[in-house]
Amino acid sequence: MKFSVEKVVGGGRLGSILPGGRHEASVIETPMCTLFTKVGSAPHLGYEMLKRVSNIPDVATMSLGGLAAHHESVCKFGKGLGNFTALKSNIIFTTLHDASSAVTSGKNDRNGVAVWGKGGKFKMDPSLYVKVQEAFRPDWFQALSDGDTDRDTGKKRLVKSVNNTLDFLDSTLQLLKESEILRDSSLIGAIEGGFDEEERQRSARETSARPVHGFLIEGFEKGHSGLDLFSLENFSSLLTKTLSCLPEDKPRIMETAWSPLQVVKAFQLGIDVFSSVYPYMLTQKGQALVADYTIPPKSPSANLESEKSEDSSPPHSGSVIDLNGKSNFEDFRPVLPGCDCYCCSNFSRSYIHHLLNTSELLAYVLLMIHNFHQYFHFFCCLRNSAREGTLEDLQTSLELQNSCSCHTS
Amino acid sequence: MATKGKHALSLNILAKCSTSKARACIMTLPHAEVDTPVFMPVGTQGTLKGLVPDQLRELDCRIMLGNTYHLGHRPGPELLEKAGGLHKFMSWDRALLTDSGGFQMVSLLELAHITEEGVRFKSPHNGTEMLLTPEKSIEIQNAIGADIIMQLDDVVHSSVEGDRLEEAMHRTIRWLDRCIKAHQRPTEQCLFPIVQGGLNPDLRTRCAKELIKRDVGGYAIGGLSGGEAKSDFWRMVTLSTDLLPDEKPRYLMGVGFAVDLVVCVALGCDMFDCVFPTRTARFGCALVKTGQLNLKNATFASDFQPIDADCPCTCCKNYTRAYLHILANTEPAACNILTVHNVAYQLRLMRAMRSSIIEDKFPDFV
Repeated sequence: MKFSVEKVVGGGRLGSILPGGRHEASVIETPMCTLFTKVGSAPHLGYEMLKRVSNIPDVATMSLGGLAAHHESVCKFGKGLGNFTALKSNIIFTTLHDASSAVTSGKNDRNGVAVWGKGGKFKMDPSLYVKVQEAFRPDWFQALSDGDTDRDTGKKRLVKSVNNTLDFLDSTLQLLKESEILRDSSLIGAIEGGFDEEERQRSARETSARPVHGFLIEGFEKGHSGLDLFSLENFSSLLTKTLSCLPEDKPRIMETAWSPLQVVKAFQLGIDVFSSVYPYMLTQKGQALVADYTIPPKSPSANLESEKSEDSSPPHSGSVIDLNGKSNFEDFRPVLPGCDCYCCSNFSRSYIHHLLNTSELLAYVLLMIHNFHQYFHFFCCLRNSAREGTLEDLQTSLELQNSCSCHTS
Repeated sequence: MATKGKHALSLNILAKCSTSKARACIMTLPHAEVDTPVFMPVGTQGTLKGLVPDQLRELDCRIMLGNTYHLGHRPGPELLEKAGGLHKFMSWDRALLTDSGGFQMVSLLELAHITEEGVRFKSPHNGTEMLLTPEKSIEIQNAIGADIIMQLDDVVHSSVEGDRLEEAMHRTIRWLDRCIKAHQRPTEQCLFPIVQGGLNPDLRTRCAKELIKRDVGGYAIGGLSGGEAKSDFWRMVTLSTDLLPDEKPRYLMGVGFAVDLVVCVALGCDMFDCVFPTRTARFGCALVKTGQLNLKNATFASDFQPIDADCPCTCCKNYTRAYLHILANTEPAACNILTVHNVAYQLRLMRAMRSSIIEDKFPDFV
């Protein structure tokens, strides 16, 4: 995988990735997001339904948590994870953990790392880890890493997590020398260190010295914690200082569940590749993205309407609506008037509200389609905005649209 | 869609089997032309377990079911009327059939109290008292707007005998007349009476003869498929079809297992519904010729075939049993994927039966 910076925009980069791996794929522009999957499939969406979403990212992220236990089956299958999961035309990026859930703490040590799936804990040392990846044949893969840290983790443990991660990386690189199967796959190094500046920079410098193709910055929370990292006053400067120790010509990846506004902020700090777990988190709550990402906003009626809800929270407008709210009962408009996704082209808020109210699976199928569609559309707008120099306007617009909402991110 | 006459439904018999009572027809309804014999998948609450209507269109499904009891409760007839009917609400432009809400009487019997007026339920959702009269059932079904609607009948379990069974049979006829009277949209929605009488040939015959006197577009055969012995079941079906007019469709309610479908087609039934294919998909089971595959079972962990190599559905085109085994144990996406296959399976079965009837090779098929 090759990455190059086309243009620097403040602290962010407009870049392009030549994906490498099995594919003769064309260039992918950054900033970008990957397709979030659970157990190898887009949440709620089988192959047929996924095709109804526009602008699906070229890269699909698959976490080992739900899949590692099945590596023997996939190995017997013999054609890799992409083919196994019917996402054959996507570039497959394997990470360790499911970005939508918290990760159980305390199970890593210097011998290996635990990932979590339906069957429980699956612990891997570098040797087993490489075996699993050989069965999966990913295009990109996150190096085995100990990211079991957060802002409450003490220095001693942080030092251990950085050391473990570097040791795993070195062992993996050694094992990869013998691996014919993974020869064309791109290894992504993990940057650890919790909230300690010194450890972060050490991790960044040391990892940069190894032959990796990109960097995944993690260890700020233990999986998904729901914490808004940008609400912590030292987060931005810490991230900036960490990234300053990384080379310019390799992509920086983060798996955090970020709203469009948070993505804009993280982009400006230097992150290139994002997860699309955020639209999934909204879907699970029966919520939908309704913000306008164009500059200036085209549809004031869609995003500045106020909604009265039955509970005591203030009327919210802006970026996100909750289809569970009773105000949707008789609302025959689409989720987002003007959105041309499959959901908005065919179904009303009233119908989705009914589906949620009766616990019908279709509610989540439709919301996932809409939320993915909108999130991928946002990334197009983000790139355009960066090119045209209107990032500040985009950020202001998103802040305004969020302002009355129960979402403050 | 143009419809003949005043019943919102017309039946054109294309072919009859020379050996059995099977027929292949085209049933024309306001929203679709339906090839019979037909299997109608059940979308109880205005959705077919995770499928979008487009997927059903792609499977060439022409008609599906909605359930009046559930829809009458949520979202309710007023909302459905405002939405322009269930077709518009769920974005399904082909045919719909709604039942009366009466079947829940049998399944929720301890909560229901049946009188001449109607049925009193305690809603399992929130405990409120509901009274379902023939008039109310028709009112809700008029709001829903299905092409075919069912009378409210006094349903009793097929194991019931004696006075209660006879009472139910007579009441069903009286309720039919009340339904016919209450029906506000006879040219847009075809009302079907339901032949009752349990496993009693005499009662069933009397019931059928009475129902035939009413001017309706089609008939349903009810009160069966409740666990009775197969031979009794088939005997009542064939008795019913013997009595019902040839030129009107016969809807056998609640039948959907492959063997039963084949036999009942041979006995002269045209329409069938059953929750089984969609329900079993939710539990990770896929329908095949030899029965079903429980994909959650570890035996499929390294089985890299599709569910059925001959099946043209998108599930079989894209997924292996091994991957579905993993997905079915954890992810809701599996439900959508397997439901597509199971519905495809049922529809293919019916299509094969229909072709064989048209070619007069139905006995070979059986």
